[in-house]
Amino acid sequence: MKTLVNINDRKKVKILKISGGHRIRQHLQCLGIHIGDIVTIKKSSFLGGPVLLEINGCDVALGKGIASKIEVEELE
Amino acid sequence: MKIAFLGQPNAGKSTIFNGLAGYKTITANFPGQTVNYTISKVRLGDEIFEIVDLPGIYSLTALDKAEIETRNFILSGQADVVINIIDASTLSRSLELTLQIAELQVPMVICLNMIDEAKRKGLDINSEKLSKIFGVPVIETIANKGIGLDKIFTSAKEAYFNKLIPKMQSFHKDIENYISEIEKIIPANFIPKVPIRYLAIKLLEGDRELFEEMKIYNDLLNKVHKIREEIKISHGSPADTVISSERHALTMNIFEEVTKIGEPTKTLREKIDDILTNKYLGYPLLIFILFLIFFMVFEVGKIIEEPIISIFDSFIQKLPQYISPESFSFFIVKGLLEGFSGGLGVAIPYLIPFFIGLTILEDIGYLPRMAFLMDTIMHRIGLHGKSVLPFIVSYGCNVPGVMATRILESPRDRFITAALSVFVPCAARTTVIFGLVGAYIGGVATAALYFFNILIIMILGAIFTKFIPEITPGLIMEIPPLRIPTFKNMLMKTWLRLKDFMLVAWPLLVISSVILSCLEFFQLDILLNKIFSPLVTWILGLPEKSGITLIFGILRKELSMIMLFQAFDTTNLSTVMTKIQMIIFTIFIIFYIPCIGTIGALIKELGTKRTVLIIIISIFIALTLSSLARLILSLF
Ligand SMILES: Nc1nc2c(ncn2[C@@H]2O[C@H](COP(=O)(O)OP(=O)(O)OP(=O)(O)O)[C@@H](O)[C@H]2O)c(=O)[nH]1
Ligand SMILES: [Mg+2]
Repeated sequence: MKTLVNINDRKKVKILKISGGHRIRQHLQCLGIHIGDIVTIKKSSFLGGPVLLEINGCDVALGKGIASKIEVEELE
Repeated sequence: MKIAFLGQPNAGKSTIFNGLAGYKTITANFPGQTVNYTISKVRLGDEIFEIVDLPGIYSLTALDKAEIETRNFILSGQADVVINIIDASTLSRSLELTLQIAELQVPMVICLNMIDEAKRKGLDINSEKLSKIFGVPVIETIANKGIGLDKIFTSAKEAYFNKLIPKMQSFHKDIENYISEIEKIIPANFIPKVPIRYLAIKLLEGDRELFEEMKIYNDLLNKVHKIREEIKISHGSPADTVISSERHALTMNIFEEVTKIGEPTKTLREKIDDILTNKYLGYPLLIFILFLIFFMVFEVGKIIEEPIISIFDSFIQKLPQYISPESFSFFIVKGLLEGFSGGLGVAIPYLIPFFIGLTILEDIGYLPRMAFLMDTIMHRIGLHGKSVLPFIVSYGCNVPGVMATRILESPRDRFITAALSVFVPCAARTTVIFGLVGAYIGGVATAALYFFNILIIMILGAIFTKFIPEITPGLIMEIPPLRIPTFKNMLMKTWLRLKDFMLVAWPLLVISSVILSCLEFFQLDILLNKIFSPLVTWILGLPEKSGITLIFGILRKELSMIMLFQAFDTTNLSTVMTKIQMIIFTIFIIFYIPCIGTIGALIKELGTKRTVLIIIISIFIALTLSSLARLILSLF
């Protein structure tokens, strides 16, 4: 299964599953990240660094730990 | 009439507040700038409005301490009208909060701020439609240019006097049924002024604070748990996710109904942003930008400092011609003059360029990008990227720096970040570093001291993490778009910070100087210096006379250095201290006991016990580092 960590720059993905606790889920929902949403990877994780995504026109940075808990499917 | 500004972080609440109340609270282009609320009275004709600026909040389920502050204020029912300030360019996400505020059933106004940004993104929002859907006034503003702010009060009045309470948006039938089941068993008036529906939904969402408050109602909580289980089975995901998806679906519907989406205009900004966070170019640029600010503070500071100091100098030198140098009044006047010139000549020249530099970084929106870049490095010391924000704020002043730790989610991260923040050389210590090492030794030594400081903080962080292991989930942070700072905001913000210095620190400086003069007159300074001489001369190897200045430094760090001039009765410190002594003195000042203001902030955020622990650690570190420095530097 692919997670946000192993997606390359400029790729569009669809979020399939968010594992991890209640708190993390809520936090992501607050920032507009839900299951089924389509996000663009602006900067992929580099040397264990965070991932930068674009969702509905907003940029959100996710640390590698969290990004690895988000399962996605590549589009096109 | 009390009007509360409620909205998601970085929507422009503080900018609107300042636009109406005069510049009273700091605004910045990063989510989570405001961490406590500010109230101001505004008189308009013969009406008085009370407006409240609150920390930004993503949802009414508070995630961090700043958000809890806002939530408590809102649930206390003090606000007569709520103005929901929305960053129009993130409308679809922001409406999720609007739906939750609507559940509170308080007269409301929706303020679509940043209409300019929304246009850039190609969003064309139909305010009338939005106003029909919620049944409340909707206004459009561009706060940083002051456009549309006049409509705030008129629409607030309209909402208040016509009781324009937002229309409820319903979820799917089955969820609504569950909600009304819970509503029936919630004790009436459980929290006065908070509608039962709001509580029922929060219970369904599994809100921890509310569960805690309701723990005596066993039957109720059992029922809630049962319903949550039922939802989980029937929907295939946890109840909180189900509610959030319901809200998400509702907001998407509203969003699509009121917005026409066109082509976004791509500009230079995106390109610059791309370079700033580039994995190869980002880091050299980061170092370059910090160096640029450092250089600016150093050069500009020197240019302003020299003429001011020389004016006061010649004045103080001529003083014995007017007043007899043995009299008590001579000591008083000299103390006054020295305190005054210390503030004007040594502190302010470095503070002004420093605050301007900080403001530019904040307003452009570079800080969240730093957080992004530094995330990996922060993990090395057991924290994550967001901790960069309190650290940078601490370079201005440790008090807001310690308070800024509220934006962190876990208590552990808050403690470590606050404990490390107090070692960040604030503006006051910057004046010491620049005024002493910078002025007498040079730029390279000054830069080296900053570098050394960062290194020590990293090492300390690594040690802290050994004792309190990392459990943090990691970075989750919105990165707002880059913005061009307005000149006015830059001036006002620098002025607000400078005013703080002038009203608090400067008078303290003058008073302390006079006290020191009195001590000198009665020759008590000699006694005090004798008491501290084991520390000052034996361990630190400093002149005995500098002992007394270290005591004053606990009040405000810059006092130590400025009062050196007075203690030694000279305007040229190089005649009384060696370069090595200056470095040792500065290192000691940077690390020893946080100033009174910071101690207050620490107690408020972390409690007395932990504050005492931090103070003890700081004394230990200051002594170790300065005696080590003495040892090593004496080898050269
Ligand atoms: N382009 C544009 N920028 C704006 C507008 N209103 C505010 N800003 C900028 O947006 C940034 C955030 O503004 P703040 O007022 O600090 O936001 P806030 O809502 O108080 O944020 P928190 O305190 O973090 O919750 C600042 O850099 C403002 O200058 C606007 O209408 N248009
Ligand atoms: Mg604010």
